[in-house]
Amino acid sequence: MNDLKIVSTQSTPLIETDNTRGVIYMEGDSYPENSFEFYSELVAWVSSYLSDHNRPLVMELALLYLNTSSIKVMMDIFDELEEAHQKGRDVTVNWRYDVDNERVAELAEEFKEDCSFAFNIIGQE
Amino acid sequence: MLVPDLYELRQRFDDEKILLCFNGPISRSLIEEIGNALRNYLKSEQASPAAALDVFAVYIELTQNIRHYAQRSGLAGADTATVVVSYRDGHYNVSAGNLVRLEDGEAVLKQVTDLAGLDKVELKKVYKEQLRKPRDEHATSGAGLGLIDIARKASAPVMPSLKTLENGTGYFSLSVQI
Repeated sequence: MNDLKIVSTQSTPLIETDNTRGVIYMEGDSYPENSFEFYSELVAWVSSYLSDHNRPLVMELALLYLNTSSIKVMMDIFDELEEAHQKGRDVTVNWRYDVDNERVAELAEEFKEDCSFAFNIIGQE
Repeated sequence: MLVPDLYELRQRFDDEKILLCFNGPISRSLIEEIGNALRNYLKSEQASPAAALDVFAVYIELTQNIRHYAQRSGLAGADTATVVVSYRDGHYNVSAGNLVRLEDGEAVLKQVTDLAGLDKVELKKVYKEQLRKPRDEHATSGAGLGLIDIARKASAPVMPSLKTLENGTGYFSLSVQI
């Protein structure tokens, strides 16, 4: 499975995957006009990682602002993680944010409400 | 030659405490650039990171809604957006408007009016319901989440307006107090 290495732009985050370690890393803002198109590669990567392996998956996030279409895509991804978790898979989300910006924590918190796997929201000074 | 009275325009901006104004065909890159200018401005004005993010978020949802509508409707001139950001009485205001088909404008007007009757708890509920709805295959946008998100970020009911124009069109705008 090919790893993704998508550089960030003003309106899209950096996305890196590590198939060997089972890690997805995302950082930055996300407000592309067509989020479904932009995230299609990542969505496909997650699906194939979850179906090809039994290994754990960790999402390391440092996302700031998401437009509503990005929120919708992230919810789809978390739903897929949730489904895998229900089948006994070890999945974790670690979402790091700057403590000065409570909006980011609130955004992460609303995702967390719908997930029963380990979803850590980590404030950083 | 008719010379625009820039001083008068500027005075009007000052009187209405307008920090940023745009009128013209809006593109993806313009949305990003104006958004960037807006963020820098908010930073220099030392707006709290939360307020700055709310203003930016509402600006993005409003302008991307216009872009999506212009693409979907194919209506000539629908991509010409008017965007105004102002700061008055301790609140930021973000407004945006564009040309629409009258019936489309009426539909959004109703949606916004319905949302205005909901409190924050009810808004969160409809937001979550909308988030859970299966996505329309052809939809490129936020699948109806945008208006709810805007209503959730507003500190007062969102003010819609629809002015009837010729040939079954209208000028639709939303004004959002953060």
